[in-house]
Amino acid sequence: MGERMFIEGNEAIARGATVADCQAFFGYPITPQNEITQWFAREFPKMGRIFVQTQSELGSINMLYGAAATGIRAMTSSSSPGWSLMQETMSDMANAELPCVVIDVQRGGPGGGPIRHAQQDYFQCTRGGGHGDYRNIVLAPASAQECCDLTQLAFYLADKYRNPVVVISDAIIGRLRETIEVKKIDFGPMPDKDWAVTGKGRHKDGKRRVVEHAGDLFARYPSYQALLLNLDQKIKRMQESELRYEGYKTEDAELILVAYGYTARVSKEAVNMARTEGIKAGLIRLITAWPFPYEVLRQKASQGSRFLAVEDSLGQLVDDVRVAVESHTEVGLVNILDRHMPTDGGMILPDKILAKIEVMK
Amino acid sequence: MEEKFIKFGKNLVPIEELLAPGHSFCIGCGEALALRLACKALGKNVIIANATGCMEICTSPFPYTSWRVPWMHTLFENTAAEISGAEAGLKILMEKGKMPEKDIKCVAIAGDGGTSDIGLQALSGAFERNHDFLYLCFDNEAYMNTGIQRSSATPYGASTTTAPAGKFSIGQTTQKKDMVAIAVAHNIPYVATACPSYPFDLINKVKKGAEIKGPAYVHILSVCPTGWRIATDIIIEIGQLAVETGIFPLYEVEQGKYKLNVDRPKLKPVEEYLKPQGRYRHLPKEEIEKIQERVNQEYTRLKAKVTASAA
Repeated sequence: MGERMFIEGNEAIARGATVADCQAFFGYPITPQNEITQWFAREFPKMGRIFVQTQSELGSINMLYGAAATGIRAMTSSSSPGWSLMQETMSDMANAELPCVVIDVQRGGPGGGPIRHAQQDYFQCTRGGGHGDYRNIVLAPASAQECCDLTQLAFYLADKYRNPVVVISDAIIGRLRETIEVKKIDFGPMPDKDWAVTGKGRHKDGKRRVVEHAGDLFARYPSYQALLLNLDQKIKRMQESELRYEGYKTEDAELILVAYGYTARVSKEAVNMARTEGIKAGLIRLITAWPFPYEVLRQKASQGSRFLAVEDSLGQLVDDVRVAVESHTEVGLVNILDRHMPTDGGMILPDKILAKIEVMK
Repeated sequence: MEEKFIKFGKNLVPIEELLAPGHSFCIGCGEALALRLACKALGKNVIIANATGCMEICTSPFPYTSWRVPWMHTLFENTAAEISGAEAGLKILMEKGKMPEKDIKCVAIAGDGGTSDIGLQALSGAFERNHDFLYLCFDNEAYMNTGIQRSSATPYGASTTTAPAGKFSIGQTTQKKDMVAIAVAHNIPYVATACPSYPFDLINKVKKGAEIKGPAYVHILSVCPTGWRIATDIIIEIGQLAVETGIFPLYEVEQGKYKLNVDRPKLKPVEEYLKPQGRYRHLPKEEIEKIQERVNQEYTRLKAKVTASAA
């Protein structure tokens, strides 16, 4: 039994990282993720772990690069504009194959945008975000409990694949206070971090280690092609083994909603409302925004199901749904313009989704 | 020929408010006061680039604005770069005859985080390229807008949400970054410190900075009752104490020459400044002595520079 507590999603992320043995946190103030940074600032010194407030998000992500290179578990968190600023290093870390966990508590965009919730970073997170060919595993919590558990999973997956893992939260999930159980999850044995730079003579073979992006110096791969081949294989491996989603009343569903994060919670309510009206609706909630369950959706489409993407952006996730069903079936969209009030404080409510379900049924 | 600088007298300060009321600054905000005075000094013929922070959030909640002058919002890290771009844009428009020759002042405003942390690279670049602009740093000594997180301008010993005081720490463990010295090191024509507790001094410095050709930097201490944990009716007093204790001396560096603007024969003890502030409440006596010692050292160093400049 873990410890039960009544905390908000942002703190749950911090607690999840703590039980996952995160040793260092680098952060920079940005709303709506300040609770994460402040929690680490308050608690990490007491545990003898490291908290650093950097001079910018560039400082945070590059300190993460350095810390990850030494083989320790480290993390940073930010919100949309700060996450944008980090992209060059995200790309570099994918190249250098450094395991790291980055939290993106999404807020509105483009640009500075409103400081309240939104889900507009879907493309940026799932397509890599920076330049070049790489993908991040993207975990999308929809509750405070998942914030804690998926952050632990993120550290495991990062180490397993030596690849950046992003936890994509949003301001509503981040500030949502729920009862959770903080429990260390055992994912099994981990590969030895024999690649880490820890000083000459510190490894079994007595040799030094080099962490570099394989662009100019090919210590890790004989050629650029070899690096790309490795990335390609890694992406395929992650797609095959790390797909996670939750199907809700999908067995007999004629209309399947697809959503992640806070809109998935709202969609579930809408599905329940539709079911009481006798409409056969269901929900596929993404737990990994990448890898995306293309095959699952394709199969459902071939069985005649239609789809409705629900997301708090103009339409990003819906593109993946369209790709999955290959225009065999109808794909609807409930987006940011369907918020119950057209301000930055408005959110998508179940009745808006239900109205769309009723049109599409 | 250099034009003679004409100071603002009491009766010369314009009545017109260029920062409209109705903004959402906290009660007793020193920054709002400083901003209002700075706007009076700058006049209407200006382009202001404003980094994210209290000033931007409180003056321009979408779709409203308090700004009665041309104004643009920038991201956090690039105010100085954007104002450099605006200056270049105006220059080319005038050179090509697309608009009449006019002395439009390019002004960048940012907080201490946007200046001494994330915006430092852009600011250094703009200083070095010698753009004709004025940079105003409104220093409230932490990231107040996002919830009182420490910045590199937070003074030693102050408690913030990311440098909390307690059993394991006395709060901020590093010394305040000396932004004025950094600006001076770029050999720009004008650098000054100001505080709205000395309003005429502030508006004259802002005016001078705007009129001087080339980069100018004015560092304005903006007392923040919310973040400093003080009563909202003593902010002027606290600003004065910051100056009178020598913690924040008012001086200017014109063409490399230092001049002290408020020179008291004897400094007040720093305790008078620290005591009323909740963010220093936890400081034990020996830490206050440490701060006093450092202030004495810094002040002596500054005086030496002033004397050297006069010689």
